[in-house]
Amino acid sequence: MKIFVTGYGVISALGNNVAENFAALKSEKSGIKQGEKSFTQRYKVGEIAFSNEELVDHFQLTQHASRTALLGMIAAKEAFQGHELNDTIRTGLISGTSVGGMDTTEVEYKKFILGEAENREMYRHHPSGTTSEQIAAELGVSDYINTISTACSSAANALMLGARMLQKGHLDRVIVGGTDALSSFTIAGFRSLMIFDEEWCRPFDESRKGLNLGEGAGYLVLETEETIQKTGKQPLAVLSGWCNASDAYHQTASSPDAIGACLSMKGALEIAGLEPSAIGYINAHGTATPNNDLSESHGIKTIFGEQHPPFSSTKAYTGHTLAASGGIEAVFAILALQNKAVYPNLNFSNKIEETGLTPVTQFQSKEGIQHVLSNSFGFGGNNSTIILSAI
Amino acid sequence: MSDFKETLKAQIIEQLNLEDLQPSDIQDDAPLFGEDGLGLDSIDALEFIVLLDSNYNIKIADPNQGRDIFYSVNTLADYISKNKQ
Amino acid sequence: MRILAHSYIQPNGIWLNQTCVKSTVGEENWLKAIYQNSGVEYPKFYKMDDLSKMSFLSSELLRKFIPAEIDQENELALIFANHSTSQLTDTKFHDSYAVQGNPSPSLFVYTLPNILTGELCIRNKWYGENCFYISEQFDAALFIDQIQFAFNHGNSCCLCGWVEAKTDGSHECFLFLVLLSEEKLDINTLNNLYKTYKNE
Repeated sequence: MKIFVTGYGVISALGNNVAENFAALKSEKSGIKQGEKSFTQRYKVGEIAFSNEELVDHFQLTQHASRTALLGMIAAKEAFQGHELNDTIRTGLISGTSVGGMDTTEVEYKKFILGEAENREMYRHHPSGTTSEQIAAELGVSDYINTISTACSSAANALMLGARMLQKGHLDRVIVGGTDALSSFTIAGFRSLMIFDEEWCRPFDESRKGLNLGEGAGYLVLETEETIQKTGKQPLAVLSGWCNASDAYHQTASSPDAIGACLSMKGALEIAGLEPSAIGYINAHGTATPNNDLSESHGIKTIFGEQHPPFSSTKAYTGHTLAASGGIEAVFAILALQNKAVYPNLNFSNKIEETGLTPVTQFQSKEGIQHVLSNSFGFGGNNSTIILSAI
Repeated sequence: MSDFKETLKAQIIEQLNLEDLQPSDIQDDAPLFGEDGLGLDSIDALEFIVLLDSNYNIKIADPNQGRDIFYSVNTLADYISKNKQ
Repeated sequence: MRILAHSYIQPNGIWLNQTCVKSTVGEENWLKAIYQNSGVEYPKFYKMDDLSKMSFLSSELLRKFIPAEIDQENELALIFANHSTSQLTDTKFHDSYAVQGNPSPSLFVYTLPNILTGELCIRNKWYGENCFYISEQFDAALFIDQIQFAFNHGNSCCLCGWVEAKTDGSHECFLFLVLLSEEKLDINTLNNLYKTYKNE
């Protein structure tokens, strides 16, 4: 059974919607700059300029919520625009997040402890599940709501669960993706792991030192063929392959021979029924940490051999948006199919000596691109791959 | 020096959240990393960097530099006594 | 599906198939006491968070019951769940940067409950399905559904667990090993098994 994508939405440091994100990708302009918040100012980050209040006003949201939830509402609303709720179409939301309402807790809890605020309502915003419930409420979706938190592979896993639930007939339509706002918690965590690059991150470059964090959200609407007959929606793409696999190596590091990455790429190709040579572009996980990019390069070589398809990481554009990245990059994958184009891996100058892979370095058209493979690898050795295909 | 090493072991236990170990469980010359030693890994190397910074004001910017310094309690004690501010 | 073996840990001790393996009544450091009693040599144990420690200790007991013909590397699925996720470690990590000023990397890596399943995979070289659910309470139906799903997708054995490490110290860890077979496992049987341990 084919799983169709009938809507997409994104907000990131590149822009507030799909069109703005694509324009930035095309103009080869990164959204990463020096942080402007008290906890981000030491780092280069992919921050969204709006304050929470501005987000609510600008995007005409009906709820005041955590930043993670607000970003999720914006991207999910864009994805669901033009879709209608209907009693005969069981519609769900599966959303990935790593920090949930942490950004609200960090501000409000301090005030509460200091006796400056009486507002206990803020506790309600903290759990990751609340984030999804608030996004679902903004859309009016209530048939099924689930949250996935597997670090950086969360959104990819949400896509996967959504596709499987449609295949099994548990739902007729599902909004899937992920959202994460920058928070002190994550900044402190990645600082402690010493994997920040204080300069602009350089995925797949020999001189790469680490990542830049980012924030944002990306969602797709998935429908079955039967549902499309009812909704009359024009599909944008097909979600044709997906796989999640364990790397069984280290809590945070990827294995040197990329066992988990190979398992997930191979599994997704099998589900899609494709040979590696059918893939027209790889949107790599490519965080720009020394470990990930080396391991992922080995994985790409193992699966695709020396004749690998064009590949790049778009994290030098958006920063690593953690649980949102799989959703944002799924939107980028569909844009690649629709526009027959592949994106540059910004800030690249020298190949990694050990693997010798050269990513795409310029925005360029790619005629005949039919299938895009997108990787998302999370802590815990939680590796996921999805494949999006042209209609 | 041996008192200093005992203090260091206590600091290692605290910093690395090895609350189940006693200082006497750690040998002065045994490798701290890898399966032959305490089974410490790259994450613990980062904890050593925090330990040196917060207790001895010694800053290590590149985690790879730590490999030799953190080989054993002996090498670590030696490095600290030479570089203490 | 057939339960091959089960175990339970709480601050008073560890049980295997309802027999107490080690009582830790009065032990100040009860997890260390269980580890030392186990005879297992795995120094990484000391660095784990409590969720991983308890699951590790239990899995060391239960893995001996995995039939030899099972391809553990590929056919064993991990299905875990709890109510309070990694809250205990989240709190400690927050304390490390907000109070003490130096975020601890070894705490940060455990601020995800799925690191626990990752730890078991690393220890045993298990590359199969692994997942960690958050639910209000022990949910036998959820486990049975997920076990069935795993069996429908090429797995022949499931290691399942309900693992709580709470800020108030009320830890518990219920693990059970399930083999693919013709027999049915019903919700009541699983619920009763959990309750038997919990009420002891």
